Amino acid sequence: MEYYSPTDLNEAYALLDKYGEDAIPIAGSTFYMGHREELFDEVEAVINIKQLGLSYIRQDGDGLHIGATTTLNEIFAHGLTRKGPFGILATTVQELNINEVRNMATIGGEVCIAGEVDMPTTLLAYDADIVIGGSKGVRRMSMADFHIGYLNNALEPGEMVLEVQLPQPPANTGGGFAKFERTAADLPIVNVATRISLDDAGVCTDARVVAGAATLSGIPERSGAAEAALLNQVIDAALIEAAAAASADVACINDFRVSAEIRSLWVKCGIEDALKRAFAAARQGEQS
Amino acid sequence: MNAINLKINKEHYDVLVKPHWSLAYVIREKVGLTGTKTGCEMGTCGSCTLLLDGKPVFSCLRMAIDAQGCDIRTIEGVEEENNGELHPLQEAFVQDHGMQCGFCTPGMIIAAKHLLEHNPDPTEQEVREAIGGHLCRCGTYIRIVRSILNAAAVMRAGS
Repeated sequence: MEYYSPTDLNEAYALLDKYGEDAIPIAGSTFYMGHREELFDEVEAVINIKQLGLSYIRQDGDGLHIGATTTLNEIFAHGLTRKGPFGILATTVQELNINEVRNMATIGGEVCIAGEVDMPTTLLAYDADIVIGGSKGVRRMSMADFHIGYLNNALEPGEMVLEVQLPQPPANTGGGFAKFERTAADLPIVNVATRISLDDAGVCTDARVVAGAATLSGIPERSGAAEAALLNQVIDAALIEAAAAASADVACINDFRVSAEIRSLWVKCGIEDALKRAFAAARQGEQS
Repeated sequence: MNAINLKINKEHYDVLVKPHWSLAYVIREKVGLTGTKTGCEMGTCGSCTLLLDGKPVFSCLRMAIDAQGCDIRTIEGVEEENNGELHPLQEAFVQDHGMQCGFCTPGMIIAAKHLLEHNPDPTEQEVREAIGGHLCRCGTYIRIVRSILNAAAVMRAGS
């Protein structure tokens, strides 16, 4: 096994091309090192991408840009993601109550894993795009398309994630995040993220209801029925309850950790909780 | 094998490592500093926690080769930093019985030390959050939290 720490993108792309599927780009290394025994025979080259200048959070006319190697604690501490329209990102990080992992794990890693992690659920609710780079050029892909299945993403050999982009949400938009887990160090059993936009009359103009970690497909999924229940309606407690009940259209997985029935119930409870937070935040014009 | 240099508790160590070797393994088995414990070796127990450039990290999830050039502080350095005396946190863990078997203690103390350096007067909730990623297999959490809060009081009185 070879180790590389390239200092510019072209050097990184050349290494990714050379090793193809046998290369693994790493930054926080929490996933790779946590699975090093399983991955040992599959990986010929470990490419450390931390020296490529991909640790940044900035805002422009397009919205928010977060570099792939930005750590979760950097997102938690940064003014642009701690409060305001993108405060949901810090809320999501806060729910992972392991300071040591938050100091290491990166947003690029979180989106690439396509497993039981929290950030992709929130990113799907905020219509995020993933910016992918390789020697053939840079391309964008929506968060919804980026995950193909459990532990499977849309990266081709020779490609890596460069950046996560979130479009600027309209005024009077609020977000909510909720999660069930056994202990702070455990993977989530259920995580949900919601986003609600209201017009001046209090009518819901846009809604996202997303459940992750619990789905049969293994990747975060939107609940079309829950979103439809909210859209073009004046939101109140009864409507939130009805929308949460409608989230039963998300098929949950039955495994040794928790049964599908319990997961469906927790998805419903989590969505109700997250929708209440999103609604309260949208009315205040702030995220929670 | 790759030749690297690690700076641990202000001392430099030359070691030969393989890329997949964890920092925890190298510090214990190649450098010989066994204060840092390895429990689960997959990032769920917290016993291998050390400070890397001032931030607590799980050293079992960090490649040793990726720790070159970093300022690494282990439990051995805590006493050295305190002029060879026990740190108030260590004193408090002794006084308040913040341990039974002691296996989680180095990680707990490193996490607590980082907390108190940034928040000298934490609430009980903040202490619990700071050790959120740490398992104590003896279940001594109540005394651990008490030890950290008492150490914080001692440190505030002394500063």
